[in-house]
Amino acid sequence: MTVAAARLEPRPALDAAVVMRAEIVAGHDGAAELMIRLRHANGAESAVTLDPETGFDLLRAGSAASLADLVGQSWLALIKDL
Amino acid sequence: MLDLLIKGGFVVDGTGAAGAVGDVGIKDGRIAAVGRVDGEAARTIDASGRVVAPGFIDPHTHFDVQLLWDGAAKPALAHGITSVVPGNCSLSLAPLKAEHRKALVGMFQQIEEMPPEAFTEAFDWTWEDFAGYRNAIEPGLSINVAPLVGHSVIRLWVMGPDANQRAARPDEIAAMQEVLRASLDAGAVGMSTSFVDMDEHGRPVPSRFAAFEELDALSAVLGERGRMLQIVPEFYATDITIARVDQLAELSIKHGIPTTFSPLFDSRFTPDNVPRVLARVAEQFARGAQVWPQMQTRPIDISFSLLRPSLFFARLPRWVRILRQPLDQRIAALKDPETSAKMVEDAGPDGGAAMLADLVVRGGDEAPAHLAGRKLGEIAAERGESCARALIEVSLEHGLDVAFVAASRGHDATDRIGPMLANPLVHIGASDGGAHLASFATYGDTGYLFSEFVREAGALSLEHAVQKITSDTARIWGMKDRGELKEGYAADVVVFDAASIGRGPEKPAFDMPGDGMRYVRDSAGVDAVVVNGEVAWESGRYTDAKSGVICPLN
Repeated sequence: MTVAAARLEPRPALDAAVVMRAEIVAGHDGAAELMIRLRHANGAESAVTLDPETGFDLLRAGSAASLADLVGQSWLALIKDL
Repeated sequence: MLDLLIKGGFVVDGTGAAGAVGDVGIKDGRIAAVGRVDGEAARTIDASGRVVAPGFIDPHTHFDVQLLWDGAAKPALAHGITSVVPGNCSLSLAPLKAEHRKALVGMFQQIEEMPPEAFTEAFDWTWEDFAGYRNAIEPGLSINVAPLVGHSVIRLWVMGPDANQRAARPDEIAAMQEVLRASLDAGAVGMSTSFVDMDEHGRPVPSRFAAFEELDALSAVLGERGRMLQIVPEFYATDITIARVDQLAELSIKHGIPTTFSPLFDSRFTPDNVPRVLARVAEQFARGAQVWPQMQTRPIDISFSLLRPSLFFARLPRWVRILRQPLDQRIAALKDPETSAKMVEDAGPDGGAAMLADLVVRGGDEAPAHLAGRKLGEIAAERGESCARALIEVSLEHGLDVAFVAASRGHDATDRIGPMLANPLVHIGASDGGAHLASFATYGDTGYLFSEFVREAGALSLEHAVQKITSDTARIWGMKDRGELKEGYAADVVVFDAASIGRGPEKPAFDMPGDGMRYVRDSAGVDAVVVNGEVAWESGRYTDAKSGVICPLN
């Protein structure tokens, strides 16, 4: 693959990140927050915690009726319209 | 003749050394002798069977406003805390020009949940610069104070309304350096900044608009005196927190300053987070940096009412859908027998007992007093209802203004957190005392350290726990002659019962200006608290002592 062609390849990292787990956790200010654990294309995992408003928005973006419905969804697709 | 002799206690001197039975003699606000002390004393406290230790130091509080009418920072003093560090998270009450007061009040109300009356009824604004604020609080202090100056207010002073709009110009940065220098000269222990806090309009606080060059320039001023830089990093994202550790390390090494960040929470869902952060902290200490992560001892609770949607119900889609409706529609739906029956059904075949029975009615709102502090499961049984039904009905009976708390839902794994607290690179703090007033009690973390991590788990020895919240803290923050029971040191002393020191249950208190409500916890097992040689709290009550000072620094 040429360098130019490589540049046209989709970047694998964030594009391929998928939700592997979603949990409700206690936030710093006592609110229930949404913790999302992601698995990236290279196998690495990371976590991000969302405040209640963003958490509800993410559930809506993923048409998720429950936390389990988020699992397996593309992170990039979920946050596209947030 | 001694002013005060504390006789026959188990003296734990704060250094980590093994305790021993002995006496502590006090004269002119200083510790005159430790060990076997004979001779006359104006007053003697019999400490037999009790621990005698240096007063505890709380390095992360927001008592800036409260100190204007309550020099004891109640109930902190009653918990054995003799020194507090307010002004964290980029916010302090000085320096502040009169025309900027309204803007700052909004930020304080957002972050501390302080009632508006606190700013209009409880004190007169007599100051603008940091020295003026010091003069306003110092005469009334029963507790010692080592105040930080907030980066956001420094920006506000120099940049006015542009403070939360843009990066600063070079001339503005130079002006900020002068303001910081003057604040340090007036007794500030360092500067605080925040990368996460918001104002009452949901906008980032001014410090978040600073470019790195600004923080670097201000750190250079801190370096002139070796003073502390405190930050709130993006603690919800571990990788960013680690990046902030690296940034703090660069500032620490370049300018020769200590730095600290808070909070740092453990989570059973992301168990690798804290170990990763601590590993990076250790790397940076090995390079010569001082980057102290602050970790609180208390677990985190989740609280909610049906007045606002909460993710607590995220596993119950119908509940989420209904609770996100506008208030009138929400109440109508909850009152609708068919809808509420489906909600109860969704809660599970046990009527929601597994999820809801341990919820506690908090009180302090519209909940009747006889329900406050009680578990929903008990209330439901009394009413002959399922837990889910009781939650709905009790809420409806009081306009939905009934708060429930799900206790210990985060940072609650004692077996994991104990070793973290014992780690020599972990700074015990982050209590947030004086903040989050209407959300949860930020008091009693020191008692919880002893009851949970010393007495129950054995993760720290008594002497180690005392060291972590006395001499370690004084050393990290550069507090002069404090934190140890040592001849010549300031006579800040706490006498407590090792077998019973702890924290009382969370309860509402209506002791804020304008009858404002906050959640508090009483102390347990603390017999006496001495501040600069004067007994400031004893036998369950505060004395008239006003012996607190602005902490002298090294």
